[in-house]
Parts: sequence; C-alpha cells; structure tokens
Amino acid sequence: MTQPTTEPVTERARIALASRGLTKTFHSTDPPTRVIDGVDLSVASGEFLVVMGASGSGKSTLLYTISGMDRPTEGSVLLEGRDLTSLDDREMSRVRLTRMGFVFQQAHFLANLNIGDNILLPALQAAPKDKKGAIARVDALLERFGIAHVRRHGITQVSGGQLQRASICRALVCEPSLLFADEPTGSLNSSMTLEVMDALTDVHREGTTLVMVTHDPGCAARADRVVYLRDGSLVDSREMGAWRPERASEREDDLIAWLRGLGF
Amino acid sequence: METRGFLYLRYACNDLIRNKGVHVALLVVLTLSAFLMATGAMVMERMLGSVDELFEQAKPPHFLQMHVGDIDADALAGFAAEHPEIEDWHVVEMVGFDGATLSWERSHTGESGDLSDSLIDQLFTTQNEEFDLLLDETDAAPDPSPGETYLPVAHRIAFDLRVGDELRIATDSGPLELRVAGFVRDAQMASSLSSATRFVVSEADFQTLEGAGGGAPESIVEYRLDDAGSAVDLQRAYEADEALPKNGQAVTYQMIRLVNAFGDGLVAMALVFVSLLLIVIALLNVRFVIRGTLEDEVREIGAMKAIGLPDRSISGLYLTKYSVMTALACVLGGLAAIVATGLLTRSVQVNYVDAPLGIAAFVVPVTALALVYAFVLLLCRAVLRRVRRIEVVGALVHGSVLDEKRAARRNRRRARRVRGTALASTRGLGVNGRLAMLDLRAEAGQWVLLPLVFFLAAVLMALPANLLGTFESPRFVTYMGDAESDVRADLLFSEDLDEARDELLRSMRDDERLTDVRAFSALLYEAEGEEGWETLRVEVGEHDPDAIAYAHGGSPGPGEIALSVLNADEYGLSVGDGLAVRRGGEETTLTVSGIYQDVTSGGFTAKAHGEEVTGAAGHMVYANTAPGTDAAMIATEYDERFDTATVIPMREYVRQTLAYVTGALQSATLVSFVFAVGVAALITGLFLRLRLARERTRMGVLSAIGFSTGEIIAQVRGKTFLAVVVGTVLGTVFAATAGEPMIGSLLSVAGLGIAHLEFLPNPWLVYVAYPLALITTGHLIAVALTAPLRRVDKSTWLRG
Repeated sequence: MTQPTTEPVTERARIALASRGLTKTFHSTDPPTRVIDGVDLSVASGEFLVVMGASGSGKSTLLYTISGMDRPTEGSVLLEGRDLTSLDDREMSRVRLTRMGFVFQQAHFLANLNIGDNILLPALQAAPKDKKGAIARVDALLERFGIAHVRRHGITQVSGGQLQRASICRALVCEPSLLFADEPTGSLNSSMTLEVMDALTDVHREGTTLVMVTHDPGCAARADRVVYLRDGSLVDSREMGAWRPERASEREDDLIAWLRGLGF
Repeated sequence: METRGFLYLRYACNDLIRNKGVHVALLVVLTLSAFLMATGAMVMERMLGSVDELFEQAKPPHFLQMHVGDIDADALAGFAAEHPEIEDWHVVEMVGFDGATLSWERSHTGESGDLSDSLIDQLFTTQNEEFDLLLDETDAAPDPSPGETYLPVAHRIAFDLRVGDELRIATDSGPLELRVAGFVRDAQMASSLSSATRFVVSEADFQTLEGAGGGAPESIVEYRLDDAGSAVDLQRAYEADEALPKNGQAVTYQMIRLVNAFGDGLVAMALVFVSLLLIVIALLNVRFVIRGTLEDEVREIGAMKAIGLPDRSISGLYLTKYSVMTALACVLGGLAAIVATGLLTRSVQVNYVDAPLGIAAFVVPVTALALVYAFVLLLCRAVLRRVRRIEVVGALVHGSVLDEKRAARRNRRRARRVRGTALASTRGLGVNGRLAMLDLRAEAGQWVLLPLVFFLAAVLMALPANLLGTFESPRFVTYMGDAESDVRADLLFSEDLDEARDELLRSMRDDERLTDVRAFSALLYEAEGEEGWETLRVEVGEHDPDAIAYAHGGSPGPGEIALSVLNADEYGLSVGDGLAVRRGGEETTLTVSGIYQDVTSGGFTAKAHGEEVTGAAGHMVYANTAPGTDAAMIATEYDERFDTATVIPMREYVRQTLAYVTGALQSATLVSFVFAVGVAALITGLFLRLRLARERTRMGVLSAIGFSTGEIIAQVRGKTFLAVVVGTVLGTVFAATAGEPMIGSLLSVAGLGIAHLEFLPNPWLVYVAYPLALITTGHLIAVALTAPLRRVDKSTWLRG
C-alpha cells in the first residue's frame, strides 16, 4: 500500500481548499460516532478530486464538512487561506452562494418552481438587482448543456439526465470556483451517467475545481486524483493525470486494481 | 384473530411512543374536545337535574299572581271551584322591606352591615304548608320559632352570614331582632334575575312585622295544577275574571324555570359551543396528521401491500392507533369533566337541591363522549380510505401515495402552475418573500389548517367576550328598557310615595353635579288582550327619543305607547296599531309608537307619554352626572339622605341585576380565551413540527445553494405569520358581523325579551387585544420551533 498522499501533485499549484485535523463526531448515537477522524486534505485550484470509499466510510460527511454545510467537531477548513469554521451562518451561506456549487445524487429541485427558475434562484439571491444578467446566464447554461427546451417545464416532466444537467446548471449559475458533487450519477442509468459526467468534465476543463464523491470507478477515472477513505480516515491517494477519453478504459482498469488493493 | 388484535395494539403503542410530540399534541386537542363536550353535557344534566329536584321538593306554583291591596277571598274560592284542573291553591302574605332597613351582625366577629346595596325586594313570609316550600340544607321545609329567621342562601354567600348571626329589621315601631336559624332555597326566586327574595319568619313575628309599619304588604295568589302545561290557559282565565286580584306581575311555571336555567344554562351552552368548535379543530387536525403520516410512511405501506397484507388490515393498523388515542382522550376528558363539573355546579348545588346521581348522570356525558369518539373514528376511516389508492410500485419506487392516474394528474397540474410562474418578474417581495408565497400557494391544502384553526379560535375568543361586554356595558340598560344614565333612583314601598318623589326630584334638580334629571312613574294599567283585560305595567314620563334603542318605531308622544318586544308579541301588535287600555275606569286607545327590547320584569313592560304621578306603584328618577364627578359617590350620598329611595350608580344596577349571568359569562369567556390560545398554540406547534419535517429537503437545498439559516427560518415564520393573521382577521371579522345575528337568534329563541342583539363589546379588547394575543401566540410558537434549526447540521436535511 502506498503512503496516503493528501497533497496535490502540483505542489506549486495554488491550494483552493484544505482541511486540517478535520474531525466530525455525531453525538446523536450512543456511544457517539466519530465519522471523520482528523482528515488533512488539500485540493488544488482547478483540480478534479474524487473521494472514494466503502458505504459508511464518511465520504459524504467529509464533503458536507469541507463545504461548510456542516460544522466540524474539531479542525479547520481553509478556502483560499480563509478559515471557514470561523464564519457565522450568514457569512458561510454567502460563501456557498458565490464561491461554491452543489450537485446531489437526487436533483433536489424545488417542486414549486420550473426548471429555469430553479436555476435562476441562486443567481437572484446573489445579485437581486441584476435580474437581466442572471437570466442571461441561465439561458446560456441551458443552451450549453442542451436543455434550453425544458426551461419552463416542471421537474416531473423531464428525464433524470436532464434534471441532473439542470442541477449542474444551478450549481454553476453563480460562477463558483468550487463545485461539490455527491454521487451525482448514483440514480442514473448508464447513458444518463455518461451525459452528466461529460458535463462535469467540461466544467472542470474550464477551470472549476471539482470535488466529487462516487462509488463508480468509471466516473472516478475522470479525476486528476482519487483519495480513499476508510472509517473516517484518508488511507491512500492516487494521482491519475489529466483525463484523456481515448485512455478511459485503461484508467478505469488501473483504478479498479488500486481499489482492489485497498479492499474496495 | 386475538393475535392480530394484539399485533395491532402493539404496533399502535410503539408508533404512539415513536412520534411522541405529534401524538401528545393530538391527544391534548382530542382530550380538550372530549373534556368540554362531557363537561357541557354534565353541567347541563346536573343543572336541569338540580332545578328539577328543587322543583320536585319545593313544589313551586304553576301560576302565580302578585297583588298589592285588598283581596276578595270569595272570588278566589269561586274561581278555584270553577277550575277542576287546580290541584291546590293558597294566598301567601308577605311584607316587603327596603334593603336599607335590614341590617345584620355576625355573632362570631361582631361585624355588621346592611342590605342597602341589594336592589331586589326583601320579602318576609311564613313557611307554606302544601306547596311553594322554602327548603333548608337538609331539604326540609323549616318552620322557625318566634325570634328566628331563615335567610335566602344567596345572602349567606353575599354577606358571609352564618347560623346564629343576627338580623335587625328597622320598622316604624322600632327594630325587630331575629336570630338566623338557617338558610332556605327558593324555587320561585332562586335566580339573580328574579326581582325579589324571601325570608322565612314565624307566624308571630310575621304579625309583628305586618303591624309595625315601614314595610309594604304584598300578596301572591298561587296555584298548583294537575298539569303544569296548562298554566298559560289558567293565566288567561284568571286575567279574564275581573273580580280577581291582579295588581302586580303574573308569572307562570315556564317563566320560573327559564329564569332559573338562564345563568347556568348559558355556561353549559357556552361550553358546548366551545367544545363543538374544538371538535372541528380536532377533526381538521386528525385529518392533517393522518394524511401526513400516510405520506411519510408510504414506503412501509407499499411494502405491506407487496407482502400481501389486505388494505383493510393496513388501515386497521392506523385505525387502531387513532381509536386507542381517542378512547384515551375520552377517558381523560371524561375524568377531568367530573372534577370540572363539580366546580362549575357549586353555585347550582347551593341555590338548588343536589340532584341524585341517576342513570342520566351517567348516560348523558357518556353519550357526549361516544359522539366525540364516533366523529373522530368516522373521519379517520374516511381519510384512511386513501390506503386503498396506494399502489405498490408507486409507493416503493416513487414514494407516492397516489396511483398512477392521480400522480399524472397532479404532475400535470403542477407543471401547468410552474409554467406560469416567473421568479424574476416579482417586485417588492424579494426572493425569500416570493419563495414563501409560492410555497404557500402550492401547499395551500396543507397550510389551510392554520388559518382555519385561527379563524375558529378567534371566533371562540370573540363571541363570549362580545356577549360579556354587551351584558356589562352601561349601554346594555337600553336593552333593559331603561335610558342610559349615570344614576338611577327607585322609590317603592312607601306610604307617602308621591311626596318622597317630589322631594327627591327637587333635590336632584337643584344639584349642580347632576344633569338631565328625568322622572318616570310606574303605573298599572289594564290592556285589552285576547282573553279580556290584563294588567300592564307602564312607565309614564317624558321619554327622550334617543334614550333607548327601539327595535321598531320610536319613543311615545301624547296618545302613544311603546311596548316591549314580548308585550308586542303577546298582544300581536306592531308600530301604528292601536291598543285599548284603561286605568281608574277610564278607557282610551293608544297608538303603538315603537317596540323596544326589555329584559326586566320578565320582559313585559310598556312606556307611555304623560305626567301622571298620583297612585303610582313606584317611581324612577334618572340623572347624568356632570363631567368630573363620581356617580358612585353621589348615589351613596342620595341613598343615605333619602330613606325610602334606593339610589345607585347605573353600572352597579346592571351589575347586580345581571350578576349571575355576567359571572357565568366571565367564566365562559375566560375558559374560551385560555382554550383558544392554548389550542391555537398547540396546533401551530403540531403543524409546524410536521411541516418542518416535510420541508427538510427543501431547506437543505436552499441552504446548499446559499440561503442562510436565518433566511430559511424567516420564510417559515413569514408563512406561519401570514396564515395566522389571515385566520385571525377573518375570524374576528366573522365574530363582529355574523356572530351578532348568530348569538342574537340564540337569545331570542330563549325568549328573554331580546329580539335583536347588538354587540356592545369593548372594541380594544375584542378587536385589538384578543387578535393580537392570538397572532402573538402563533408567532411565538413559530419562533420557538424554528429557533433550533440554527444548530442543526444542514446536511441532515438532505440526507434524511
């Protein structure tokens, strides 16, 4: 087993996000459960990082804690050098609104809004006075991801793939520098998975830092780096190099072999 | 079968424990409904039972005629002989004394006082032998020895008197001292609405009082009939017979019963009214909770269906839970009702005879509780019919309670709606406001619970308070047939009545502190009714057109008469009709100028224009006080200066006359207020708890995309506030508009002489303070329930 490498390979690269001694304990269980146990992790600006691990290893908790959705029990999270744990709720939500985007396993759209308005919502919240600019950005994203025709559709009227692409649009509408994805293909079939991963790869290629949790080695193979979590601790990491579609299966096989070695 | 029943029960109990908060709130609302329903039923049963019991033992007359003056005993005997339906009859002789001439002294403390504040007639009489008995605490009819007296129980409570205390009567020949030997309950004059009360003395003391002077002799001719229902026929026959004494009020058995039942009946009615509203609230709530539960547990239901459990069994699981809960609520409510009934009927037990606990005492509240149980279970059954519609695939895969067809229809409906909305097009509200409004619109079916509950709570608070405000308002005297004024003086029972009146009037008119002094005389006319000439009490004087509220027409001018609603009904007259009257042999026809509401003298009164004062049965003088003067102080001063007059501030007069009713209404108002606020708080809490659980994902999404917890909380509080305000405002408007005719028609059915009720509420209290209290309650609950959201890890909202 290789030594866990939690630092990105390009050491000189600017660190977008870092955690130091990150610990999360749930006190609602008896005895309390330590789900994240002293994780040190750095994500370089523009990097595509995938977090893998068995069910219950703490992947999603790590994602929600470093993204500021949840408060860590101990440790700190630094976003471009700024400690997120010192921010109050209002400041933290502002950071999420302007600097981060989220894509979930379920699209989690508000049922009372149509697809277009669901995407527009964060943009209006970020700049309520710039409605025109916000609408223009929504239109451009819908065009880019090929779903402009469903702009006024209800969320039950579109396919899962379209919904997840709309979810990526929503995550990108405020032009964040960091995108978090929690099993974004977890409930999609293979063709829809491909649609969504292509979209995310595009987003990454344009310079957005991407942190994704997944079970699917095929999806993970697109990452620059994969880290492996076991019982709340980072146990290993693997540099994958830049994504090249023509080497997709080779990367996937390599990754699977590595994961097998870790008992995945 | 037994195993299945046990399984259901165990499932029900486990589920009740699992969702404690929601179930406790639901249980409390159900218990309160059951409690009030049972209490209302029990109070009514106890009260009617006690009144019946007192009537059974005291045997009040079925018809009685009061009379001042000589009595032709032969004519009475002749009348009785002609009417075989008369079972028994007698003439009761009484001597009336002004309250100011009666004083008491407590033997144990030496404290003393008088009855001058009591505005009703204090009548001394001896115990009757056959009927109209005055009963002591042991339900015996005591016959006091010379030197002893039995006082009305109401005086024991009002003046805290005990056996052994002393009563002194100031007669013209000096004081007569009597020892209090006990207290008696009086079937005929038990209610505070009754205008007189009776003291029992020995035959010897009665003779002394009659001969001593200072009292006003009065007689009552009383009849017991084979059938109490024929009292009205006997009254007609009696009034048609000119030889019979009738210089006074005539009263039938039905009127006595009504007056007795009024105060406590009102409380029982209020309780039943409150409980009905609560049951509606409980039913709305149960429906909301069951629908919510089915949505939450749709996957479990799907799984149960998938393994082959029939719909009936699945509904049975839920039904068992709600039947256990409702049964528990009924038992708890019933037990609490027993305690509450004991407290509420204390006055009934004192004034009347405690009814034996018969089968009705058990059957009536149990039936009331059974009704509550049946209502709730029927509703549960109806709502649980939805289980049948749930399809296995829809439930397990999509978590949908709807079958495919319905789900598709709902999706189409939603899609149509969202197509039309445009988040960016709104001005003014802001993103948070707009989101909250859209949510309210989309989830209106759920949120409607809050406005409905607050509507009912506002009505629940406002109606009894409005009625109480009306009864307590100084303007209420205009319903009592009196002009609104600050001071009222009554002159009754005096030999030189007219002289006393002149003197009082002169003093009052000369007094700079008093303005607008008006005098009226109570004259006994005879009016021609269907069955011949009948006594009609007429208040004669200069009637100010604006002094009292006329339901129809206006005040009487020369040659005119105004009638109370009940008199107008009795004679079948309306404004403009003629009424033949006579007094002192002189017959004339007066035109009806107006019809007004009156609750005094049994509601049978009249007003005529004139200055005739000689031979009046009594006089009334009204006056207003100049600004800055104290009506109570002036009234006390005049009351002391003029022995023969009872001078009181008007507010006090209204208070005393309606003391029992307003007392009862005060309790009802307090109960309504507490219950309305309590239930509103409880249901807001329960609703928000369930709503917040349902909105977790929505809140998680909003948090992830950058809405602060403060904004998410503000949305929930804003929605709650809006729902609460809409419900409260609509409820208050309803109570102020439709509530008036609603309560009015109830009162007019009761035949109390009020045909048209106009609320005289304290507007600041009822229309400002009460709604504010409700809205504040709703808001505080929302604040309390949403505050913990700040401490929660937001990811739990998304991850379940």
